[in-house]
Amino acid sequence: MSIVISNLSKSYKNNLVLDNLNLTIEKGTLFGLLGPNGAGKTTLVSILNFLEKKDQGEINILGFDYTKEKSKIKQLSSYVPQTYAFYPTLSAFENLEFFGALYGLKGNILRKRIQQCVEITSLEKFLHTKSQYYSGGVKRRLNIAIGLLNNPQVLYLDEPTVGIDPQARKHILDVIKEINSTKQTTIVYTSHYMEEIEYLCDDIAILDKNKIILHEKKDTLLKQNASIEITTNNETLKLDNNENYEALRVKLNELHSKNIEINNIQLPQGNLEKLFLDITKKELRD
Amino acid sequence: MFKYILKKEFLLISRDIHALLVLFIMPILFIVIMSLALKNTYSNTIDTKLKVAIITKSNKQIELLNKEINKDKIFQSFIVNEKNIKTLIYKQNFDLIIDIPKEYKKQISQNKKNFAITLYTKPSLSYQNKEIFKNLLTKIISKDIMSGFFTQYKLDGRTLALLDKKIYIQDIYKNEQFNITPTSVQHSVPSWLIFSMFFILIPISNTFINERNFGTIARLKSIDISFLSIIFGKIIPYYIINQIQVLLMIIVGIYLVPLLGGDSLQINGNYGLIFIISSSISIAAISFAILIANISNTSEEATTIGGVSNIILAALGGIMVPKYVMPEFMQEITKYSPMNWGLESLLEVFVIGGSFNDVQNYLFYLIVFALSCLTISYVILKKKENI
Repeated sequence: MSIVISNLSKSYKNNLVLDNLNLTIEKGTLFGLLGPNGAGKTTLVSILNFLEKKDQGEINILGFDYTKEKSKIKQLSSYVPQTYAFYPTLSAFENLEFFGALYGLKGNILRKRIQQCVEITSLEKFLHTKSQYYSGGVKRRLNIAIGLLNNPQVLYLDEPTVGIDPQARKHILDVIKEINSTKQTTIVYTSHYMEEIEYLCDDIAILDKNKIILHEKKDTLLKQNASIEITTNNETLKLDNNENYEALRVKLNELHSKNIEINNIQLPQGNLEKLFLDITKKELRD
Repeated sequence: MFKYILKKEFLLISRDIHALLVLFIMPILFIVIMSLALKNTYSNTIDTKLKVAIITKSNKQIELLNKEINKDKIFQSFIVNEKNIKTLIYKQNFDLIIDIPKEYKKQISQNKKNFAITLYTKPSLSYQNKEIFKNLLTKIISKDIMSGFFTQYKLDGRTLALLDKKIYIQDIYKNEQFNITPTSVQHSVPSWLIFSMFFILIPISNTFINERNFGTIARLKSIDISFLSIIFGKIIPYYIINQIQVLLMIIVGIYLVPLLGGDSLQINGNYGLIFIISSSISIAAISFAILIANISNTSEEATTIGGVSNIILAALGGIMVPKYVMPEFMQEITKYSPMNWGLESLLEVFVIGGSFNDVQNYLFYLIVFALSCLTISYVILKKKENI
């Protein structure tokens, strides 16, 4: 397992943010963490990256104890904040050189690693230009490139596509997929864009009201959500998730024989957004 | 690793044009301008004499008076036909106008009750200069009358005539081997150097606040590196920049100011002590900057709070207005400005020729100030950033 969290709690003054949270993330997974604003996503990621202190609970990351082996965990993981966490008046190379040195890299090893990260994130053209002049998409890629410098086994990406155009977003999602598939890096991905999580992640959890209220493989989740709805004048009939189109045919015959007028038939959506709304009863941006 | 931390900070500063202007160009301009502007205040020679007009109709006595005033180093006298005082002051630019009775000697010896001399002066003329001229006039007239008595009674008046030359003025230096004459540049260099050193808060607060607001600080905290290394990685480059400022401003004082007509900065070779003082000032300035960066939320806020604080500390510390022209209660207040501790230390070396013993108290205050700022910053950082 990459990350095992048991009974994790955190509160700010009297405001409980995480309440006895339990979560397990498998090694090499692309894990998507969903939740409305204020659900505690950022707090959870901050605790996992030692930016916030936990009140209680146990955390084990890559087999290392969170409390006792902080240094080892930090060396093997990396955090990419939502903001452009680099120096805008420095070029991509200068930023990568600085952060690489902080990870303990030097000389040829540092240069080689910079080159690798630049290749993964396709930053070659922008390497020696001051990063303040980059487009949003290139800035996001530099943000990720810095996070890859220590060749992390766990990579935390906090909303890495906020504020960029769809083309740049697609590029970044492909980069993330590649990092996960080629290096078997465990990726913890938080996003407001559910279609991104649906596209990218194979393991999804929903955090709401300070707890993980749902944690499933994407395929299972979407299957659960694949219901058929028939709307008549009087009511909406929902066929069970495990029922198939044969069941729909039987039901339609039954309604027809009873002379009940059918207004609409909603075929399976398999949509994460709908599932999210069903479960949390909230819009994601609430 | 430390090499790259230093490299990063130097790159950031070298690309911050505003910071470079404030740290290097501003003090150079201040040193040059103030050294030239205050040259006469400190100098033993006067470049521009104050203009005096005698409006009394000329006769032998008035001509003698005019001649005697012109012997003085500060005043330059003219007998004029113009009688309108305002014209003389505001159009012909005279500083003082004398209205004296034509036969003043006779009136004085006859003890005339309505005898009077009126001095009309420009309102901007300093009280000291008004008094100096009044005394000069009294001296000239008294000497003239006294010499008449000496002649009348056949007395030897040589000593009286030579009295001016028998009064010696001698500067007493704390360090007897130190015989540098105080000049405006000796005062301007330390003053504006300290002022600019404290402006290190502009780049420091910008970097700190940007790191915090851009989330870079979060990224740094997630890396396996001690937070103290990051802080020291910042302090050392800024300390080096402060020392470059010291070196540059001394060079400006020694070479540039004389090129522009000012006096040259003289240092009596006590470079070791200057280094100790400048290091203490630098540590105080950097610590203060870190505190300002921590209590501010945005760069604009830090620039405003820091800029205003620096100007107040400078005004109170005798940087903008020399301490000796302040009233007593203000001089008492200067003792509480860290800029004044730095200034007094440097003036001890630059102007008085003092030793380490003379400046140790000021250095102690600067270090205590620095430690206080750092302690408060640490408490705030711990609360804000969970370090």
